[in-house]
Parts: sequence; structure tokens; C-alpha cells
Amino acid sequence: MSKTFYASKVEELDEIAKSLIKVFKNKKKIVFFGEMGVGKTTLIKSICKVLNVQDIVTSPTFSVVNEYQTINGEVVYHFDFYRIKNQEELFDLGLEEYIYSDNYCFVEWPEKAEELLGNDFVQISITKNKDYRIIKTHL
Amino acid sequence: MNKEIIILGIESSCDDTSAAILNGRKILSNVVANQEIHKQYGGVVPELASRAHQQNIIPVVDAAIRKANIKKEEINAIAFTNGPGLLGSLLVGSSFAKSFAIGMDIPLIAINHMQAHILAHFIDEEKNIPEFPFLCLTVSGGHTQIVKVESPNNMQIIGTTLDDAAGEAFDKSAKILGLPYPGGPLIDKHAKNGNIHAFTFGKPKIKNLDFSFSGLKTSILYKIQDGVKENPNFIKENLESLCASIQHSIVNVLIEKLQLAIKKTGIKQIAIAGGVSANSYLRNRLDVLSKTANFDLYIPKFEYCTDNAAMIAIAGYFKYLDKDFSQQSISPSARLFF
Repeated sequence: MSKTFYASKVEELDEIAKSLIKVFKNKKKIVFFGEMGVGKTTLIKSICKVLNVQDIVTSPTFSVVNEYQTINGEVVYHFDFYRIKNQEELFDLGLEEYIYSDNYCFVEWPEKAEELLGNDFVQISITKNKDYRIIKTHL
Repeated sequence: MNKEIIILGIESSCDDTSAAILNGRKILSNVVANQEIHKQYGGVVPELASRAHQQNIIPVVDAAIRKANIKKEEINAIAFTNGPGLLGSLLVGSSFAKSFAIGMDIPLIAINHMQAHILAHFIDEEKNIPEFPFLCLTVSGGHTQIVKVESPNNMQIIGTTLDDAAGEAFDKSAKILGLPYPGGPLIDKHAKNGNIHAFTFGKPKIKNLDFSFSGLKTSILYKIQDGVKENPNFIKENLESLCASIQHSIVNVLIEKLQLAIKKTGIKQIAIAGGVSANSYLRNRLDVLSKTANFDLYIPKFEYCTDNAAMIAIAGYFKYLDKDFSQQSISPSARLFF
């Protein structure tokens, strides 16, 4: 199943995030494909807002993983594999423990760890044309 | 040696393992794991971060103690990075520190990495140290903050990034320009002969003391993509001016927020910290501003700008004075606030 959303400005992302969470149903592992600057972190910001995350959602490019908490104390993991060189680094980081936890895991630049992530993940791809961003989910 | 309080500091929050020994505020040794240490122990530096920390930690501590020319029995307390950072990496440092504290029967002191960056100003320096309260602009690959520092153990974040860190803006711009990662220092280098006004990019619209670099990054990306579309040699022909303009735009954001923070707080003691504080253009701009806006500027030595254990040890020293010790039950946290 796939579903497509269009956003012409950043303010529209919160509504799209609400719809996305409905599409996810009980799936909590989501990967985000898209080139630099297309808005992966920005979309995750909106999704976290809808999930009532209390922390500031920032880019985890340097930290590799950010951990946030929702108002109910649920944990959300936000990954970015941009600067990962090989999959072994992710084993060392304890990636499996994060993934097999019961928490939301949002992953940017998942291309670096496709084998590790397997097929259980909901895929979101973001592309852009001149006027808007195209957000596609593949379940 | 005039023996004061001797602190062993351990830093393992990210890529490098480091150990340092301080006598009071005076540094006796500051060792970062490198090939040299591994040669002495017959190994090589593994590529993998937390496994590397496990292999590094004992050689590094041993080297720090030898270099300081002390006996381990002389150490009064051990300080370690408790976060923020990569959990796997933090655990190596915290486990070692706890074991060492039990084994030697000395206090254990947990340190916030971001506070330690600020306290690095107090290492070794006798005269040129900021007076309290002061403002610190902490800029690195993972963080961009303005912190109001009331005392060594009392500080608050008054501005922070809402998306990307300043260092990330540098590194990702470098990537767009085809420079190797991390390319921040290369931008600094190429910018030296470029025109800072050759290109203009979108400015963030955040009103308060918080930062945003994500929009700027996207604006840089589009401008360069458009340029390459018209002229395949666009980057090559304009590299110096592109670097200068990008650097100018990023530094402008930092300077504007710092000026606003000075205005809002009335504090005229200004310090910078973190890896990006090594950027020469940022240093020049701050230097000029300190004269026109009439504030005292404090820039730490280069080796204390990036991650290091000496800053963990100095933060430990201040906590030792307050007898602010940690229990063995403490566990490191990837997300740690202050």
C-alpha cells in the first residue's frame, strides 16, 4: 500500500504528520529517504509534535541518535546515518537494542544500513519539485 | 610539585577516548587515544567507536598517569562524561570510572559534556579567565548554544538550535561543494581569499535567542544546484567566494544572536567554546565586535576547543570543591540537560 501527500509550505506538515501516524497504525519503525535539504528532519519534527514530544527535535547528524520523550514519558529515537561509514559501526552503537525496543524509531539516511533494518520498516520518501514536497509512504 | 586536588578526567562521549590529570586547575597530562599509544600497546586504532573506546580506555588512562608523573594513589577523585553523547561510548567511560572509584576508594563525579566545554576556559589560566556571570557561545558539530554562566556549577541555556548545529551547517555545505567530510575547516581555509558578499543566502527568521540553520543549508544547496545547472564549472570557478559567503552567512547568525543575548542580559563577559570556535573568521568577527560593542572576549586554547578530557577534569575539580559527588547507581544518558 502506498499513499502520497503534497506540501507547498512547512505549516502544512503538521496535518500530514497526523495522517501519517494513522497510516503507520501500530508500526513504530519508520525510515525516511530523500536528498539533503528536502525536509526529512523537518517532517520528523512535525511527527514528533503530533506525538507530543516535549524536547526540541534537532538534526542527529552529529550525534547519530537523539532520544526524546513524549508528555506521557514514551521514548522516541531519532537516527541519522549520514556520517556512518559501515554497518558495523551501527552494531557497536547498539542499534539492534533500539530497533527491537517498543519505541518509535525514525531513521534518516537509512541507505547506510539497509540489511540491518530489514523489511519491517515503514518507508517514507520525500522528493521535491519547483513548488512543493512530495511525501510518499510505502507500507 | 605543589600538590592540590588531583582529578583524573575521562571523556568518551563520541569518537575519541581521552584521559587527563589536573592538579588544581593546572594540567599535568591530557592524552587522546591515537596510533602512538596503540603502538606502545602493540595494536592499531580500531575504526569502530565504542569498541575502540573499550580498547583505548586503559592504555589512555595509563598514559595520562605516567605522563603526569604521579602515582594513581595520589588521585583524589575521578570525573567522567555522563552525557550527552552516544550511549555505547558513554557506558565505556562510566563503567571504567565507577570501577576505578571503587578500586581506589575515591569519589566519583559525573560531568555534563556541554558544561565541561564551557569550563575549559579555566584550565591552566591564572589571569585571563572570564568573570561571573558570563555568556558562552558553544558551537560544535552537534550543538549550538548560548549559555548564561552564573558560577562553575550553575549555568542555564538561554538559546539553542531548533534544527541543525552550526558545525553541521559548515560540514554539509562543504559536502555540497564536494569537499570531504568533515569539511568545516576546509571552508575556513578556502574562504580566506574569497569575497564574502559574492553570494547571499536565506536568513533564519527566529525571533528570540534560538538558532536555526536548516533553512540556510537548503538555501545554499539550491543556489549551488542552480549555479551548476547554468555552468558545470560553477563550484570550481567560485569555490573561494562560495566558501567565504557561506561562512559569512553562518557566522552572521551566530554574531546576531550573541549581540541580542548581550543586549538582553547586559552581560559583557563573553566566552566561546566547542570545535567551531576554532574557525578563524568567527574569531576575527568576535574580536572586532568586542571592540565596537565593548566587551571582554575569552577564547580557549585550541586543544581545549574540541572534545578532550582536560575539560572533564576541570569540571570535576569545581564539583569536588562543592563536594558534589555521584553514587555508583548513576547511569549515563544520551540526552542530558542542565
